[in-house]
Amino acid sequence: MAETPKKRSKQTPKHQQHDLSSSNAITIPATPVALEPTPVRRSSRLYTTPTAATAPPPPPPRFTRRKSLNFTTTTPTPIPKTPKKPAPQSQEDAAKQISPISPDRYETRRKRKLDEEKNAGLAKNKDLKGGKKRVYYRKVVYDGGEFSIGDDVYVKRRENAESDNEDPEVEECVMCFKAGRAVMIECDECLGGFHLKCLKPPLKEVPEGDWICRFCEATKLGKNVELPVPPAGKKRARTAKEKFLSSDLWAAHIESMWKEVDGTYWFRSRWYIIPEETAAGRQPHNLRRELYRTNEFADVEMESIIRHCYVMNPKDFSKAADEGDDVFLCEYEYDVCWHSFKRIAEISNNEEDAEEDESDKDWNSCEITDSDSEDDTDYKKEKINGSQRGPSFGHSLAANLRKGQFFGLQKIGAKKIPEHTRCHKQTEIGKAKAMLLLACLPKSPPCRNKEMEEITAFIKGAVSDGQCLGKCLYIHGVPGTGKTMTVLAVMRTLKIEVDSGNIKPYCFVEINGLKLASPENIYRVIYEALTGHRVSWKKALHLLNERFSNGTNWEEENNKPCILLIDELDLLVTRNQSVLYNILDWPTKPHSKLIVIGIANTMDLPEKLLPRISSRMGIQRLCFGPYNYQQLQEIISSRLKGIDAFEKPAIEFASRKVAAVSGDARRALEICRRAAELADYRLRKSQSLNDSAGTRRSLVGVADVEAAVKEMFQAPHIQVMKSCSKLSKIFLAAMVHELYKTGMGETSFEKLAMTVSCLCTSNGEAFPGFDTLFRVGCKLGECRIILCEAGVRHKLQKLQLNFPSDDVTFALKDSKDLPWLAKYL
Amino acid sequence: MGLKNPAEQAVILLRSRLCNPNFIFTLFSDSPDSNYSKLKYIISSSVTESCNNSVLLLGPRGCGKLAVLELVLEDLLREFPDMISVIKLNGLLHSDDNCALKEIARQLCLEHQLAFSKMASSDENSQFLIAMLRECGLAHKTVLFVLDEFDLFAQGKQRLLYSLLDAMQSVTSQAVVIGVSCRLDADQLLEKRVRSRFSHRKLLFLPPSREDLQRLLEHALLLPSGSDLPHEFVANFNSKLLNIFADKKFKDIMDTVFNTDSTFKQVLTFLFSALCHLDLKRGFLSVENFKDALSNIQRQPKLECLKDCSILELYILVCMKRLEVREHETCNFNSIMKEYKSIHDSFQTTDYYARDVCRRAFEHLLRRELISFLDNRGHGHSIEFRPVKLLISWQELYQGLKSYGSCPAILYKLVERETTT
Repeated sequence: MAETPKKRSKQTPKHQQHDLSSSNAITIPATPVALEPTPVRRSSRLYTTPTAATAPPPPPPRFTRRKSLNFTTTTPTPIPKTPKKPAPQSQEDAAKQISPISPDRYETRRKRKLDEEKNAGLAKNKDLKGGKKRVYYRKVVYDGGEFSIGDDVYVKRRENAESDNEDPEVEECVMCFKAGRAVMIECDECLGGFHLKCLKPPLKEVPEGDWICRFCEATKLGKNVELPVPPAGKKRARTAKEKFLSSDLWAAHIESMWKEVDGTYWFRSRWYIIPEETAAGRQPHNLRRELYRTNEFADVEMESIIRHCYVMNPKDFSKAADEGDDVFLCEYEYDVCWHSFKRIAEISNNEEDAEEDESDKDWNSCEITDSDSEDDTDYKKEKINGSQRGPSFGHSLAANLRKGQFFGLQKIGAKKIPEHTRCHKQTEIGKAKAMLLLACLPKSPPCRNKEMEEITAFIKGAVSDGQCLGKCLYIHGVPGTGKTMTVLAVMRTLKIEVDSGNIKPYCFVEINGLKLASPENIYRVIYEALTGHRVSWKKALHLLNERFSNGTNWEEENNKPCILLIDELDLLVTRNQSVLYNILDWPTKPHSKLIVIGIANTMDLPEKLLPRISSRMGIQRLCFGPYNYQQLQEIISSRLKGIDAFEKPAIEFASRKVAAVSGDARRALEICRRAAELADYRLRKSQSLNDSAGTRRSLVGVADVEAAVKEMFQAPHIQVMKSCSKLSKIFLAAMVHELYKTGMGETSFEKLAMTVSCLCTSNGEAFPGFDTLFRVGCKLGECRIILCEAGVRHKLQKLQLNFPSDDVTFALKDSKDLPWLAKYL
Repeated sequence: MGLKNPAEQAVILLRSRLCNPNFIFTLFSDSPDSNYSKLKYIISSSVTESCNNSVLLLGPRGCGKLAVLELVLEDLLREFPDMISVIKLNGLLHSDDNCALKEIARQLCLEHQLAFSKMASSDENSQFLIAMLRECGLAHKTVLFVLDEFDLFAQGKQRLLYSLLDAMQSVTSQAVVIGVSCRLDADQLLEKRVRSRFSHRKLLFLPPSREDLQRLLEHALLLPSGSDLPHEFVANFNSKLLNIFADKKFKDIMDTVFNTDSTFKQVLTFLFSALCHLDLKRGFLSVENFKDALSNIQRQPKLECLKDCSILELYILVCMKRLEVREHETCNFNSIMKEYKSIHDSFQTTDYYARDVCRRAFEHLLRRELISFLDNRGHGHSIEFRPVKLLISWQELYQGLKSYGSCPAILYKLVERETTT
């Protein structure tokens, strides 16, 4: 769907010629309208938003490739303006995140007031002063439209622009200037709408793929185009979309909404920006309907909202289920300060902070979908323990110091979005490569249903118990068998159940033993994850002990059951094993409500530990066996579903190969990915040689997989031996000869030098001298073809072959420059 | 200085070529089977397709692993300006995990003009690394980690490698870990869980073949015609050089060089030293230059050591040799002195020195590593009693004595007798 336009699209689509305002690229800092209590101009539109309670008139069936709006499904009952629980966090952190050069879009009077408030009291005070304070809303029905947090809206840009008054919801045909109910097609270049029947020649139905109107085609060819002139008396009406794209309107994301003391409604907006307004300008790969989200915020009166628009991520955009004209694509965030672009992180990363404010549930249900979860969570944490540590941003601005947040990361961004990233037309092999990435995790791991059920049952049993007894589960299995992934998948499904209210809420802490600087640090990490405070590990241990052993001392709300997932558990084994003991001892305490899931590779880890630990850990175990070849095959083919890139025997070959060695799914995926790469490389090569070869079937075959397997599994020593210098070869042959003669694996340099000189003299080679030979030996030792002692030992140096002598024989048997070597091997 | 001898100019040009690995390795970069194009394909595919990769570059020292990598990086940095940041670590310097993380953080900060604090704990640094990887991935920037002496990172718990490779399993990151090692078994050193996360692309760098070498010689030494050198001189120089290349003697010399060590580095050092022998008055390379270079490059350090020894030291060495032949597994200073005395007594040599003079000579030999203590034990003992061993073989000793100008005949005879018996 999201195809890149072939050509840098002309900045002036035809509607601008009818435009009243000159749209010379308006730069960002411009004041939005209707900030002062100016005379209220109620835009009297009945059908402004699809969510409006009044059933809007059905829009004309606009048959573009995007399907038409589906209004009937989304008619929630209008929520009265009931003050909900205040949402101070987004307010506060919005104030925090004001971009360094705050443009004058931000009203100074407002700002001062806001700051005062911030100083006056923290979040909680606001509740008390309710009457005199702002009241925050989650959803506001304003002027006939219902707006909730997270919605995207058009905002008026100029105070009294006449053109803002007219607001045709319906787009007119470029040719006949009527809307009508006939099917229209949208040009991919200028976004103009055309009735199918108005086209010359008329089309019967909407064609597949890109369609460009003849005007755009003609302009592309450099011709002068005359657009049809509207009939006299009728001015061409521009839709909000068109106005927005010619920067006569703004679009914004609603971050929060509130009622001021004086009764006016305000919202905090996060602006969207059209490509033309960025520093880089419109880039050739920008789609017509593409926007950037900025990191710029402003408080705007609700008055200036025109109506809804829909900004979506590329995935939704390509699905484009129920949208009409006001649909936009937003894939990148634009930093107004640094003029750089950054992809918007996927929302799935936000799970953490959704969990954070589980406590006030009604707020949480309306989940803010702003993406910088990292900063957000961190900031929230900061706020919670703000009392003990004042924010000290003033002097410690080092990027790698984590004082609430890493400072300066927003600086990182691409100055220009590189073109190749937007090229969505991938080859089948390219798609396959992307799917085979280790990073690309499936929703639930295939072939692990039994284990998933077992873990689910374990957690459910532990959590849903009335008193929540502490429990402990030990999961073991060789690397790459999906242990962590399975547990995380279970946690995801459970989270959905928590959200739907089937299970009591719990908190989930994930720790990786190898990522801790020292085993003791785990206390600190756990404590921080549970409370957000950062203390030394000794203090954390003390506090955690108090919590889990006594169960008192903690506020009621924090008394949720806690699931602790410790990956690479074996790394926590210290000399006296106290860390492991403490962690595994807590679940046995009556009030702990702690559930520990430990993951490690070794099967007998509990047995290796002290008995008091193994008795606590080893009761319930779950083994992840290595995958067999059918399972591997299923894993690979489930990822490659719908992509025709691999021959079936190739997949089977790869999975059999891996299953025979380790049963490591990662390895199998990597082999397939490498095979795809090799195939790609091969195809490109043949394509560059002769173009006709491109028509061959471009599937990844067994040969490619075999090459990949060879590259991965084969040790390179034979090749090195084959290509090393003549003297090195003689040296190795002498080692083998010596080995056969004495039957001892180990020899000394002195003896070997004698053998070499014997070999040389009897075969007419010049003996190079001891020192040279010694150097050669050391070089071989460096590559670990032979094992040798340090060079200071010189004559006494002990040598040993690092590989079986057969390998050496194989490598040297038919070397061209030294045919006589074969005698001695 | 303006007007220089064309020969001088030519030497400067050729030297700068030989010292510039980029120039040398561009020769081999065009063929699709070369390591250059394979490596470039791997890295550029992860830049353009935003995927994570890990590659090992293996091969003996001096085969151009880093040089080819540098070449690839230079090209890619030109091709994708400010989309790639390169973090370079060396196992000799950063094998400690905490120190490596700090260094990574420092270089990342430097690369992106962020403030860096030395005070950050390793936890903070590793979190910073993850956060940076994420942000860079979102901004379509690739981070390349070049780990030189990769084998040294595979010590201990391999926390650094684990966290790097584990971070590469996350969706948003876009990183390539490039390990460079001369140990062929470097990937076997990885722990199981680390190895499982490693994507096992391996590129093997081999010494050049004879044909490559021939190409390299011409590529490096022939003067370009289009430079500001006088045209006549260039033509003359090149024709003489081609004559030399065809010369049988030259071929023999190259064979000798190539037989002992056929790596790029060795060949380049050899050519450089030949160039240094160039007679500026004549202005052209000759076979003699290469011959001199060969003798320069084939040093025999132990023999040269022997040449510098005093007569007394030679006596001590010969005594040790005799003791060794008589199956005295170990000898120490005292037994050597006894032997020395017996030689003196039986042959009535003129060179007889006092015991402490001998001891000085003995210590000197130890320092020159012609002899060494048998083991590291017994540091407390005085030198006289610690067992020592000879570090040179009798052939070397024999040869050394032969080439020693004023060697007493008796020593020579003694050694000869030992070898015959």
